[in-house]
Amino acid sequence: MAYKRPRATSPSNSQKRARGGLSYVSLGTELPDDKDDGEFVPVWKQTVTDDRGRRRLHGAFTGGFSAGYFNSVGSKEGWTPKTFVSSRSNRSKDQATGPTQRAEDFMDEEDLAEAAETRQLETAQNFAGIGDADDAGNDGFFGLFMKQEEAMGVKLAQKMGWRRNQGIGRKISRTARLEDGIAAGKDATSYMFAPEDTRAMPIPREKVHRKGLGYQSEARLGVEQERAADRKTSLDFEFTESSRKPLVVKKPTTKKSSFGVGVLNDTGSDDEDPYELGPKISLNKTIGKDKKAKKPSKFAKAGAGEGPVFVSKKTSTKALTLLNRASMDGRPPLAGFVLAADIAELASKPKYPPPKIPPGWKSSKSASVDAGTQGYQSVADAAKASTLDAKGRSALLGEKQLPGKSIFDFIPKDARDRLAGLSGKADLPQGRGESGPEGHLPAAEAQPKDLWSLVPALDKSTAAAALAKGATGWMPYAEDLPKRARYVGFLELRAGLKDDLPERSSSISTSDWVKELQEFAHAAQVFRPTTGIMASRFTSSSSSTLGGSTAGTTAETLVREPAKKPEDPAEQAAKMGMHGAMTRTSFPFHPSRLLCKRFNVKPPPDMPHGAEFEGDNGFKAKTEEAVSKAAMDKMLHEVLTNGPALQRPAWMGQAPQDPVPVAAPQATGHATVDVEKNEALSNERASEDVFKAIFGDDDDDDDE
Amino acid sequence: MSAFPTKPIAKLTGHNGIVHAVAYSSGSQSYILTGSSDRTVRLFNPQKAPTSSVAPPVSSDYPPGLVNKYSAHGYEVLSIDVNTDNDKFVSTGGDKTVFVWDVQTAQTVRRFTGHSGRVNRGVFGGDGDSIIATGSFDGTVRIWDMKSNAYKPIMTLDDAKDSITDVAIHDAEILAASVDGRVRSYDLRTGMCQADVIGFSCTSLDVSKKGTEMLVSSLDSTVRLMDRTNGELLKAYKDEIFVNKDLRVRSTLGLNDSVVLSGSDDGMVFAWDIMGEECMHRFKHSEMREVHGKGPAVQPASKKEVVSAVAFCKTRREWVSGGGDGNVIVWGA
Repeated sequence: MAYKRPRATSPSNSQKRARGGLSYVSLGTELPDDKDDGEFVPVWKQTVTDDRGRRRLHGAFTGGFSAGYFNSVGSKEGWTPKTFVSSRSNRSKDQATGPTQRAEDFMDEEDLAEAAETRQLETAQNFAGIGDADDAGNDGFFGLFMKQEEAMGVKLAQKMGWRRNQGIGRKISRTARLEDGIAAGKDATSYMFAPEDTRAMPIPREKVHRKGLGYQSEARLGVEQERAADRKTSLDFEFTESSRKPLVVKKPTTKKSSFGVGVLNDTGSDDEDPYELGPKISLNKTIGKDKKAKKPSKFAKAGAGEGPVFVSKKTSTKALTLLNRASMDGRPPLAGFVLAADIAELASKPKYPPPKIPPGWKSSKSASVDAGTQGYQSVADAAKASTLDAKGRSALLGEKQLPGKSIFDFIPKDARDRLAGLSGKADLPQGRGESGPEGHLPAAEAQPKDLWSLVPALDKSTAAAALAKGATGWMPYAEDLPKRARYVGFLELRAGLKDDLPERSSSISTSDWVKELQEFAHAAQVFRPTTGIMASRFTSSSSSTLGGSTAGTTAETLVREPAKKPEDPAEQAAKMGMHGAMTRTSFPFHPSRLLCKRFNVKPPPDMPHGAEFEGDNGFKAKTEEAVSKAAMDKMLHEVLTNGPALQRPAWMGQAPQDPVPVAAPQATGHATVDVEKNEALSNERASEDVFKAIFGDDDDDDDE
Repeated sequence: MSAFPTKPIAKLTGHNGIVHAVAYSSGSQSYILTGSSDRTVRLFNPQKAPTSSVAPPVSSDYPPGLVNKYSAHGYEVLSIDVNTDNDKFVSTGGDKTVFVWDVQTAQTVRRFTGHSGRVNRGVFGGDGDSIIATGSFDGTVRIWDMKSNAYKPIMTLDDAKDSITDVAIHDAEILAASVDGRVRSYDLRTGMCQADVIGFSCTSLDVSKKGTEMLVSSLDSTVRLMDRTNGELLKAYKDEIFVNKDLRVRSTLGLNDSVVLSGSDDGMVFAWDIMGEECMHRFKHSEMREVHGKGPAVQPASKKEVVSAVAFCKTRREWVSGGGDGNVIVWGA
């Protein structure tokens, strides 16, 4: 207790006792010290205690109000407050680790059950057993949706030599079935064939024949019921068609069923107790005579009863032998298995033969009718029969002629025959006995002839192009001028400008000479000018690579003068001193409005409107040509090519309208072209008055 | 007319390189501004520079007659033009920048940048010299506004296919001579540009007072007087010893458009009567004398011999020539 109560003026009983010294004597129950006697206690002095008298309220530093559930915070059994983690910086992370909501959280049991029902267990889509593919064929749509991926089993089987549409197993020796339905003759030899592809046993997966004691399958509406019944009695299979019994309508077995007889099972007879328990043992209850045959059920067809059924002996024996036959390895098949080889016959059901082709029918698609009539001829035979040689064939095929000629083109026929005889090769090309090309004739001296063969070949156009490039622009071997001279000589030779052998100084060996020529040929191909679009993108630098002045002089002699640009007729005229209309061009430009203001002149009347908005910032002069460059060139071309009607320059004929005096008279002799004087341009703009008349009002306020 | 000023009356010294530009001040034209490849512009009073004056040994000293030096250029000074109020002048040069100077304070008032090559010529123009037109090696003529504080050109004329060597303004027309052999005159009133083919690279351009003729120097050692109205050649001025094939040499009309004056590659100055066929006077710049006789009196020694700048005084019978030796000679009667 932190505070003292104001002491009463008279001592309490206990105090009296204590004073008296009789501590072992106790009389009655001592009143508690802190009794709530209704005295006024200020709020700050009051304490709150729980039912066990413990302090309930603490100061802020000792936990605050009821902190920690009765002072248990931090203790072993109490809870520990979670440390606060700000998610401000790592919100997304917090979300990821935090509780995620799933759809299941909002489902009740019903929903969950429903969801579980919708979930179906399925085989993988590309699951397929071997030989199952054909089975799938019974549904036309199934093939559409089936995956083209091969099952692992198929792949394995194919690695082991199996092919599609073959059966599995050893090869069977049999006669070839050339045509459907026609059995081969006896004398036909037998070959090894892959076994027939037979249909796999369709074992229904869902059927697990585990039945309880005394169970008898119930009657169904389908045929399946009968089959199941058959299966029990005789050992045959539903895939063996031959062994299938003719459909016998039996007495429905529903009578013997015990549990759960439904409406469908109701036979309608009243004398049966559907709730009868236990196996029904039918006893012969009559003495003396056999029980009458039961009358057929009303479900059964009348007359279809238990009459004698013919069973072919042949088929039945076959089925028997089939069952007893040993497998190929000598052992009988496993119990429950049947040899597939014999069932193969089933697969060879007579297929329907293709429709007969009506006599005299011809396919419109057969292109080579005569080829069919000729009969087969092997490629080798055809080649033998052909009279064409390699050259002729290549000509037929449209191949390009090979640049070089064969030796056989030059040797005479008898020499070729002799060669063929000596070498024993009869397929040598024909000797043509051609004479050598000009300059190569044997009459020429022997040495150059040998050397000619060493000069590498180069396309004539390539050589000419490389030469032209050298003339106008850059040419290799700028550092070695004699070499360049040889290069030019080689190019000229190959371009057909020269006929003599490329020069060869005596100090250079022939092999070096040939090597250099080959290098030249290569260089010509590399440095030939660009063509087409590329050529239009580049221009060759002007003779800067020619090196020093010493190189320049010799190079000038080697390299031809570049083709001069067609000179501007105006410049021509100016150079001849014929200044005037020929040398004058005028074109409009748009001075900026500010500039006109600075000059204190009115802007030209045909100023574009956009110019009004520009301010002090840079105004790019928009000088437009009234006639485009292309049009100009076209006009020039017309003038040059057309007859004398256009020969006379336009500006001369127009002298009367033209305020400008006609050019100097000596100009007339030379002036054939007038591109400077542009009629269209001078006529285009109306006079100032017209503009004033139209736009007169708004022009006045331009001045500042 | 006969009294062509042939006597040297003053010699302005002090430049340490080829004098590329000379200009008379406006108004009474009593002062001469010179620009040189020593990167300075100098203002001279020719009255105080006798012909005997020599350059001081220390270049910082003021030679006789020098009034002020203007140095801000980082490259050679190629042209000078003074405005009509005589308080500002424009100088251009190799530093692709156009400098506008205050004459009194010798400080640049404006600097215009925008050309991408050396600026060959800058002239005042417009109403009250409100614009500056500059022609540059980059083939453009740019027009700068002096009235506003715009740092971009008002307009750029980029029709030239080659360097612009000279720009002239007459009334509301801007003329530009280019190395592509053409002189283009842009008429602001009509919005038409007339290009006259000279045929050879043009180096200098001067317009007559009337504005109907222009004087064009070209690199075929010919000065031509062209009729501006129709582009015809009025007169071609040549001489046997007049050589102008490589260098930019100024030519000018003088004495009320009655004479043609041109510098040359080899240190000579030639004067023609505007109507005459024959050369009237030949002057040897470096020797400060008139050369008589036909024979080539000098052998061109070096670039130093060039007389690249000539200017005529509009008020007096006086003209000035600036040469490759750094001296500027004032000729008078």
